[in-house]
This record gives sequence, C-alpha cells and structure tokens, in this order.
Amino acid sequence: MAACDAAGIDIPRFCYHQRLSIAGNCRMCLVEVEKSPKPVASCAMPAGPGMKIKTDTPLVKKAREGVMEFLLINHPLDCPICDQGGECDLQDQAMHFGSDRGRFTEMKRAVDDKNLGPLVKTVMTRCIHCTRCVRFATEIAGVQDMGITGRGRDSEVGTYVDKLLTSELSGNVIDLCPVGALTSKPFAFTARNWELKNTESVDVSDALGANIRIDSRGAEVMRIVPRLNEDVNEEWISDKARFQYDGLKRQRLSVPLVKGKDGGFRNAHWSEALLAIQQALKGVKGNEIKAIAGKLSDAEAMIALKDLMNRLGSGNLQHEAGFSDLDADVRSNYLMNTGISGIEKADAVLLIGSNPRLESPVFNARIRKMWLEGVPVYLIGSQVDLTYAYTYLGNSPEALTKVLKNSDALKRLKEAKRPAVIVGPGVLKRSDRDAVLQQVHGLVEKAEVVKEGWNGYNVLHDAASRVAALDIGFLPSARASAAPPAKFVYLLGSDDWQESDIPEGAFVVYQGHHGDRGASRADVILPAAAYTEKSATFVNTEGRAQRTKEAVPKPGDSREDWQILVALAEVLKQPLPYKTLNAVRERLAEVAPHLQHVDEREAPIWLNGEYFKAFASKAGKAAASNKEFRSSIDNFYMTDVISRSSQVMAKCVQAKGSMRQGSYAS
Amino acid sequence: MAWRSALSKNLQELRVHLCQSSKGSQGARDFVLGSYQELKKANPKFPILVRECSGVKARLIARYDYGVEQNVPVEGLDKAAITKELEKLVKKGESMPRSTESEGSL
Repeated sequence: MAACDAAGIDIPRFCYHQRLSIAGNCRMCLVEVEKSPKPVASCAMPAGPGMKIKTDTPLVKKAREGVMEFLLINHPLDCPICDQGGECDLQDQAMHFGSDRGRFTEMKRAVDDKNLGPLVKTVMTRCIHCTRCVRFATEIAGVQDMGITGRGRDSEVGTYVDKLLTSELSGNVIDLCPVGALTSKPFAFTARNWELKNTESVDVSDALGANIRIDSRGAEVMRIVPRLNEDVNEEWISDKARFQYDGLKRQRLSVPLVKGKDGGFRNAHWSEALLAIQQALKGVKGNEIKAIAGKLSDAEAMIALKDLMNRLGSGNLQHEAGFSDLDADVRSNYLMNTGISGIEKADAVLLIGSNPRLESPVFNARIRKMWLEGVPVYLIGSQVDLTYAYTYLGNSPEALTKVLKNSDALKRLKEAKRPAVIVGPGVLKRSDRDAVLQQVHGLVEKAEVVKEGWNGYNVLHDAASRVAALDIGFLPSARASAAPPAKFVYLLGSDDWQESDIPEGAFVVYQGHHGDRGASRADVILPAAAYTEKSATFVNTEGRAQRTKEAVPKPGDSREDWQILVALAEVLKQPLPYKTLNAVRERLAEVAPHLQHVDEREAPIWLNGEYFKAFASKAGKAAASNKEFRSSIDNFYMTDVISRSSQVMAKCVQAKGSMRQGSYAS
Repeated sequence: MAWRSALSKNLQELRVHLCQSSKGSQGARDFVLGSYQELKKANPKFPILVRECSGVKARLIARYDYGVEQNVPVEGLDKAAITKELEKLVKKGESMPRSTESEGSL
C-alpha cells in the first residue's frame, strides 16, 4: 500500500495507519497482483521488484464492493445523528466503492456501549473492528487497556473489564477511529464539522507547542484537533490540549475592574482602570515595582512589559514557572538541544527529575517509541509508570552522585554514540538547583553527551511561555535581589505566584483572561485575550518559535496583551516605541532575532562548554540537599487557568480519583 | 582589566547577536568563545545574552538604565576589535543617567 501511496494512487482503507502496526483485518485495501490467484490485502503485502499491481480492475471493484457490503451488514444506519457524519471514512467510501442497493433483510447486531471515561464517547454498534484504537493504546500510548473480546459475529472492541482509558493521549483514538464508534464526548451533538471555521494554531497547555487546528463556530471554540507536524507532535495531542477549550468560556474577565474602597470590584472603563494604576504608582520608586509573567504569556506581551518596567527603572522581572534566577545567557543551556524529533536518533536516554508523561505526554510517546526500538532508558526521579520500562537509579541528588562516580549507567551512556540527558523542571525548580545542575554538567562531560555533531543535553520545560521569557531576557537584572520589598506588583497572567512574591499591602494589577488566584488578589484587573483569540508568538522547549492565530473574537471589552501594555505606558508617560503588532515583532527581533523565524528551529550553539565553566565558578561549592526529585506537575489535567476553569478537565480528575478508589463506574 | 568588572556597574544587559555559520560572524563567535567565561566570572549576575540566528548580522547591544539601548554592528570585525567596541559601550555607560535599577549592591 505504501508503494501505491508513493505512486499517488489512493487505496481505500480502514485498519491501516502508517504510525500503527499492520493488522490487515478490514480487507478494504484488496488489490489484484499479477500471478496471484486471489486479491491480496495491499497493506500487509510487501512490494517486490517487478511486481504488477492492478488497482482498478473489475475484480478489485467487486472485491471492494463485497467488503463494503459485509461491513455495512452490522453498521447502523444512523448517519444523521452520528457525530462522525461528514468526516466519516465509512460514509465516504460507501459512497465511492459501495453497491448501489442493499440485499440485507436480516437483523443487525447490537453491541453494548463502553464507558471509556469523560472524554471518549462510544457507540460500539458502529464499530467495524479495524482495531486502530486497540493498536494505538498498546503501541503508542502504552496502556494495555483495550482489546478485542469474543469471536466472529460476537467480537467486540472494548476494555476487558469496565475500566477507563488511563492514557493522557486517549483523545487521539477519536481521530483514529474511521467510523463514529469513538467520538468526542464534550463535542457530542454540538456542531456539524462542515459548519466549523478552521484556524491553524499552536497549543499552549505544555511547552511542546503541539500544532493544533481550532474549529470554531461564531464566537465559540467548538473543538480542537491536532495538525500534522512531524518535527513537533507528529499527529497526536494530549488530552489537555484537546479538551481544555471549554475552560475558555468560563470565569472569563471581560471588562476592566477596579477595587473600590469597600473592597468590592466595580466595572470600569479602560481609561479609569489605567488612571487608577497611574495613581497607585505615584510615589513608588522604580525598584519597588515588580512584574511576574504567567505560564501562558506570549513573547509580544513579555517584551512590552519588560520594556515598560525598564523605563520605569525596575529590573525586577520574574516568571511564575520558577527558577527566575536561571541564567538565560546561552540558549543551548535551557533548550532541548537534540530537538523534539531529533531525540529519536539517541541511543541511550537518561531522565533527571522529570516525569515526561505528565510534563509533555506527546514527547513521552516519542521516548516510548525509542524504547520499543531497544533504546535503554534510565531515570533519576520519582519512580512512576512512564508507559515504558526504565532502569531506576534512585530519586535524589545522592543517586546522581553515585551515577557520576562509577556505574553501569554511566558506562552505557559513555559507550552510546548519541546519548541524551533530559533535565526536567523537577531539577530546575529546586532551591538547590545550582548544585544539582553542576552535577548534571559533570555527568554530561563525563559521559561525553556533547560531541562533534551531537548535543544530547536537553532541558524539558513545562510551561508554554518559559522559553520565550528566557529568550528575550525576561529575568531579574543584576541588582534585583537587592531591591526593597515591592509596593506595586504587575501580574501578567500570573496565577501560580508564591505567597512570598507579593508582600502584604502591595498594590496588585492583574492582566489576564481568567478570574483565578491572581485576579482575586488584584486591585485593578485588566481583561486580556486567551491564546485562541490573538496572534501571538510562543517558543517551545526546543526553541522553535510558533504563532497562534485568532480563531474567535475576544470577549467583551478585552484587548490583546501587548496593546494593554502599550496603552498603559502611554498613560504613565513612558511611551513604548511601537504601536502595531508588526512593530512589536520587529522589537522582538531586535532582542532575539530567532523569534522572527517562525516555525523554524534555530540550532543553538554550544560554546564548547564555556557556559558550564562559568557556571561552575558561580555555583562554587554549593551543596545539594538530599530532597527527592519531584515532577512540577501533580495533576496533569489542571496546570493553568484555562484547564482549571474547564469542567471537562474537572471530570477527568474526578474520574481518575474514583478509579483509584476502585469504583470504575462514573 | 577594570572595565570588565564595570560591565555590571555601567550596563544592565548585554546582548550579542550572531549567526551560527556566516563568515561575518566569525569574529563574534571567537569573541564569545574566548571572552564569555572571563566576562561572566567578573560579572556573575549580569545577563550576557548570546542570541544566535541564521543569517543575522553580528552586533552588540547594550541596555542601560531606563531601557535606553545602544546598538553596535560588529559584522566582519575580529575578536580584538569587538572587545574594543564593548569597552566603548561600557565607558559610555558611565555617563548615562541612572535609574533605581542601578541601586543596591550586587
């Protein structure tokens, strides 16, 4: 079949999928091969030299018609109420290859629907047993939850016992299902696919920057589906990326709010809100101002905020994802140097302080793919189910020291041609980060992770805005630590700040799109656009700049983040030298030119470990505590304001909780 | 050389733009390879942002207080010449107006 695809000839198929193993059970791809007495299933037939394949003979046509007739025997005629209608492989192919009349007079079979949790809706009567979902779950997602039970007419796809699909990638079976057996539960009966507007955008639920397509109708995001990008997400996205969109409709901030004397918020005009900020800033010295950027902030907003703060005389810039004081000097020090797709070239992997299954499930599927091909995986971190087997080396800096001294793992990494070390946020967020990083650097040098033509030092981030913040230098300037306690704090979509970041009595401005922790602490609230409502730049964990696009209009009176900051600068009499989006982007290029190369990845330079040496002298002899490594994410389904506002994500948390308690019914 | 440790005194941020492979950026690459460690050791908390991008013209950008920036093209210059340019930028910082960003100890 691959040979026919390459030759540009379309062969109908249901069970075949290029990223899954070959099953050969739908029989739709039958073709005639010369000298073969029977038609053969082209998906399972290797093409040989001189082989003559016929795809449009009467025999092939008859075979396809016959297969289609058999498939339709037990397929219900409920296309008008089926969510797959309009994008259904079976529907299309029945129109194309099916017979024009039915000969069927018996009864159709019926199958019980399965409960796969709050995300995937099942109508199992529609199932044609292509087993794509089963193969996806076992091969890609790595959960042995699904399978076929029964034989012949009684065979059913499902979970063997009543059980939820426990993968963070479960939503992808919806795209894989060629019929309407597995459809999206939140999307059920809400829209028809032909009435949706498609916008190609980028996901911000983790630092992977998965490419997505936002399907919207009017002002509403109806669903989110993946977009193919071999270098980033292949064709998968995580459940959070796919299903958190209902959070965009809840808890939204749509008008500027100012806190009155009685402590309650009242609606205000933009000018009032900005003047209130101006009033509050009177008498506040420059270094008493602090800004904290959130996990979902885009590069344009962060550069505008940085420029404004610098003009006000403050260098006190933080990012809520922790480790604000990490140097951003050399890009290779905070990026995934192999690239996301490049990691597959590695022949040994060591994870340090990372749980990629929660931090970036799609990336985790790549590691699983490598593991299936025989690449050994080592782990220093919490011992959890990563969907693949690994050699556990311990869960503390002490274990790292042990590995460093002398161990099989070190030897194995050293022997590997292209070893990769992945440092997770579990390391970067530690208070004794410098000491741990120094050990990691030592390991990288000892195991020769960086060599001619290969840089295997990788950092996996967990927040979409983190890399852009580092790229543009959104970090405290040299004397920020000496600044007096802040009297004025500007939260740019930040809701996960530490209590110690905001001193009591400080005047707080929250600019963002959701009413959450940040907004409840604020004195002035400025409503901004979410990632589906603006064109903004995000940089993923491998340093690839990507842009979201405006899919739906902004709610109420909200504005884009950079516009708000430009207007505020105007009111504060510190005008910023840009007024249009393009001008902001030119400014971005002035600061970090690679942000202008959208969708491309600028290879970071390594500097021959110069950074490590400088780092070593700075870190000195700091001692690592013996605290265990912990992933930065406890609850995969709720990591930022959007997913926290999403009811679907809340149902996932609940379902997972009830599963742990042993009651599978929900 | 005293001006090296004055880097964090007179400047707020230094950015080095360079291309990973172009000939014009060769000097800038040599400069970063040769001087980065020394500069960082003299100014451990000072941000020296090396930003590489294919096809970009090599330049030094100094940020002073109040967000004032000075942009010096160093395309085609060699390491010694770039060091001199940097020294000039640091000297210039002495006479720049100071904001509260420069207050406090390092």
